[in-house]
Parts: sequence; structure tokens; C-alpha cells
Amino acid sequence: MSYLEIKNLEISFPTPKGKYVAVRDINLSIQKGEIISIIGHSGCGKSTIMNAIGGMLTPTGGTVELANQKIKGPGPDRGIVFQNYSLLPWLTVEENIFQAVDSVMNCSKKEKHEIVIQNLKMVNLFEHKDKLPGQLSGGMKQRVAIARAFAINPGVLLLDEPFGALDALTKGSMQLEVLKLWNLNNREKTIVMITHDIGEALFLSDRIVVLNNGPASTIREIVEVNLPRPRNKIEIVKMPEYIALRDRLLHLLTDKFSIEDMGMVYKS
Amino acid sequence: MSDKDTLTLSDITGQAEVLTSETINDSVKSEKFKLIISQFAVKLKSTVLAGIGVLVFIGFWSLLSIYTKDALPGPLATFTVLKEMLSDPFYDYGPNDKGIGLQLFNSIKTVLFGFLLGSLIAIPIGILMGASNICKQIFYPIVQLLKPVSPLAWFPIGLVVFKDTGMATIFIVFITSLWSTLINTSFGVASIPQDHKNVAKAFGFSKMRYLTKILIPYSLPHIITGLRLSISVAWLVIVAGEMLSGGAGIGFFVWDSWNALSLEKVISAIIIIGIVGLLFDKLFTFIESKVAYKA
Repeated sequence: MSYLEIKNLEISFPTPKGKYVAVRDINLSIQKGEIISIIGHSGCGKSTIMNAIGGMLTPTGGTVELANQKIKGPGPDRGIVFQNYSLLPWLTVEENIFQAVDSVMNCSKKEKHEIVIQNLKMVNLFEHKDKLPGQLSGGMKQRVAIARAFAINPGVLLLDEPFGALDALTKGSMQLEVLKLWNLNNREKTIVMITHDIGEALFLSDRIVVLNNGPASTIREIVEVNLPRPRNKIEIVKMPEYIALRDRLLHLLTDKFSIEDMGMVYKS
Repeated sequence: MSDKDTLTLSDITGQAEVLTSETINDSVKSEKFKLIISQFAVKLKSTVLAGIGVLVFIGFWSLLSIYTKDALPGPLATFTVLKEMLSDPFYDYGPNDKGIGLQLFNSIKTVLFGFLLGSLIAIPIGILMGASNICKQIFYPIVQLLKPVSPLAWFPIGLVVFKDTGMATIFIVFITSLWSTLINTSFGVASIPQDHKNVAKAFGFSKMRYLTKILIPYSLPHIITGLRLSISVAWLVIVAGEMLSGGAGIGFFVWDSWNALSLEKVISAIIIIGIVGLLFDKLFTFIESKVAYKA
């Protein structure tokens, strides 16, 4: 039995025009310590699957089980990093993390403060602990959000397009930051991440889940990434395995679009 | 040779350092000076412009006074009376003859009391209306129905219930203070972004933590705006209310002065009412700026 088990997951929303099925027939077994990327086009239900794991919404069919327990709502066993940071702008960096720790953890105030400090140091933001989110850059804000998710010491980390809003250079260092934290935790944390970026998915993941286009999207293919760890960003891109995987993913994600593009050219 | 080279180099660097630090100091000083001058110029300009506005106003007032053959007292006559009123604002010669300071104090007391009571009711109900659709559906029709009613229409009801004109005046201020605060609070609470709610959900915030760390900090600027609007209307209403209730307050003072045919006093009271209203507004604008946060 795997750590995180998604069985026949179906999620639909009622609309005035009738039932809208976002995703269906999702089956996925994730081992402890695995890094999984979910990739697909906009509106294909990536976030919907993520929210089901996070317990932010209830499946209309099938189940999500974590350590053999059915997920019924949000819980401290899952830490979520949202795409738009979702820090509270009136709280300092330290307070933002502390409120999450204070809400979730059962220990003394002193220990809680120590956890906050330790996690701030891990993402190199200790000097900025008294700043408000409005005074930070996008990358720093996302590091606070990641520190907050790690601070509650969850078994599973859910990253919903965590670096989508960042520039390419910041993105690169943030990916390393995540791997660093994962290694610091003895690679015991399971990470499920949504991304649009094939390079990012290949660099970080053990497996990449490619989704079909919505509505009613399903898993198109699960691509195993058997690249050795630790991975060096410059080295791996030269590996033939990497190139083959990248081509496979490109093919899965873009075949339909290129034909449409050609059609456009001929029409005009 | 190399020794000499180094020496010259350090000499030059030293000189360069001295030069740059001096020039930087100078430029910083002149920058600061320029800034102060420009700030002063901006302030001076706005003061002069405001002064022009006041002069135009006083001019019209004088013309109107001449036109009415001094039935409406001119600025000079008014200011003489105003000065006299302010020279002894706290005298008390019995219930119908009190200094302007005492009257003003009475009105402010009434307004603050009614406003405080109104806010204590309006903020929680506003939060409920903003947070829950059911509460909104319960309260919103009543609010829509009662909001456009002139507060003075409540005066008889206050009289019947409390059998006391002072209490009835507080009651109409209370009613007046409700609406803006209620509507702004519920709007603020209803517009809490999903992102913030998601944080609370994902990290299992308790109701109390959600209230103190998300709901109130987010909606506080809206609440303060509501309070600012409420107190300005309350200050509008108190004058009319005290004209009805009589006995005490700046409104009563206006009415009493009119009955004594002292229009100088009436106009002086108008000026004082305006200044106090302005100060209330400034106070809440200041609080607003203190509780605002940068997203």
C-alpha cells in the first residue's frame, strides 16, 4: 500500500447548465518521499486534483487516502504552497509562519518560536523576519510560503504552480531551494507539484503525471524520470535520457497545438 | 619602483576618497535643502490658495450683508461676537444661558455616546452580514428600509421609549451611526480574498484565529471608513436633534440665538460646528492611514 493513494477520483461542479466534470478516473499511487509533478494545459484540472489532496474540496467520486486514512478536509499532515504566495499582508514574515505553526502544532510557545526561526534560517530569510510581505520580492515571498509549509512538518507538501509568477533566474534558485529542503528532511517528504514547465518537472521529479485537456480530463501518461540524484542542472540536460524524456513530454503536451498552428498559417 | 607605484596609487585613492565624500556630503545637503524648500513651497501654495477661497467667501458674505441692509450680520460684526463668545466659553448662568464651550462639550458628549453605542451594534452585525449569506438575507432588507429614513423621524420614538429628551437625542445619533458602519463593515468582510480564506483553511485556523488574524485586519480599513462616514452624519444630525430637544448643546444654542435674534451668534456657531466636524473627519482619516496595510 502506497503512502498517498488516489483511487478513481472524480470531481465535478454543479453549474447552471448541468454537471461540469473537471477530472475523472484519476488513479495514482505515490510512495513516501517521492517527488511527483502534475503537468498539463491550463484548465485541465491540475489544481482540482491538488485541492482534493489538500482537502480544500471534497471529491464527488472515488477517494484520496493518505497513510491509509481517507482525506476529509485540510490537515496538518499536508502543507500547501499556493501559487500567489498567500501571505497575510498585515503580519510580519515571522508572524505569518508563526500563525500557521501555532494553529497546527501541539507544543509550547517557545518551541513554536524556535521552529519558526529554524525554518526562516533554512530559507535564508532570518534577517527579514520583521518585514511585511509587501516589502519583499516575489522570490522572497514564495520562500516564506515554502518555509511556512515546511514549518508545520507535514508528510506531504503540495506546491501549486509555486514558481509560476517568478522570473527564470529566481525560479532556478527556488527549485534548488526546494531540493535542499527535501534533502535536509532526509528525502522523507512527499512532494506533489503542479507546473507548466517541462524543465522544472524533469529537474525535480521522480515521476511526471501528464493530464489530458479538460473538461473531464484524465491521466494521459505517467512518465518515469530515472535520472540519477543529486541532479546537476547543467549536466542533466546533456544526458541522452533527459533529451528523450523532454521530447516525450513535448510530444505529449504540444502535438495537437502545432497542427492547429499550421492550419492558422495556411488560412491567413 | 613598485614601492613608489603603490605609494602614488594609495595617495591618489586617498585624495579621491576625501573628494568624493566631501562632494557627496555637499550634494546630500543641497538635496535635503532643495527638498525642504520644495515642500515649503507646496505648503505655501496650498495655504495661499485656501486663503483666496476664504477671502472670496468672506467677500460674498459682506455683499450679502450689505444687500440685506445688515439684517444678516457682516463678517466683522460676527467675528467681534465670536471673539466675545470664545473669551469666556465655559460660563454657566443657569439652564438657558451657558457658554459656547459647555454647549459644544455637551453636543460632543452626546454624539460620542450615541456613536459608540451605534458602532458597538453595527460592527458585529456588519461582520455577520459580510460573513454569512443567511445573516445578510435576514438583515439587509431591514437596513435598506430604515437607512433612507431621516434620523429626526426617530425622535418621537426615542421620546416615547426613554421619556427623556437627552436620551432621545442620543437615540437618534445612535440610529444615524448604524448604517454607514454596518454597510462598510459587511462590504469589507464580504470582500476578503479567497487566498486569505485558503490560508486559514489549509492551516486549520480556529474561528478565533480567523477573526483576529484575517477577518478583522482585512476589514479594519473598511470599518474605519464606515465609522468616519457615520460620525460625520451623526455630527450633522446632532444640530437638528438638539433644535428639537432643546435644553442643551450646540444645536440648542443655534436655535436659542435665533430666538434672541442674535444672528452673529448663529453664524459663529455654524463656524464652530464646521471646525469640529472637520476635526472629527481628520481624526478618522488619520486612524484610517494608521490601519491601512500594503498588499
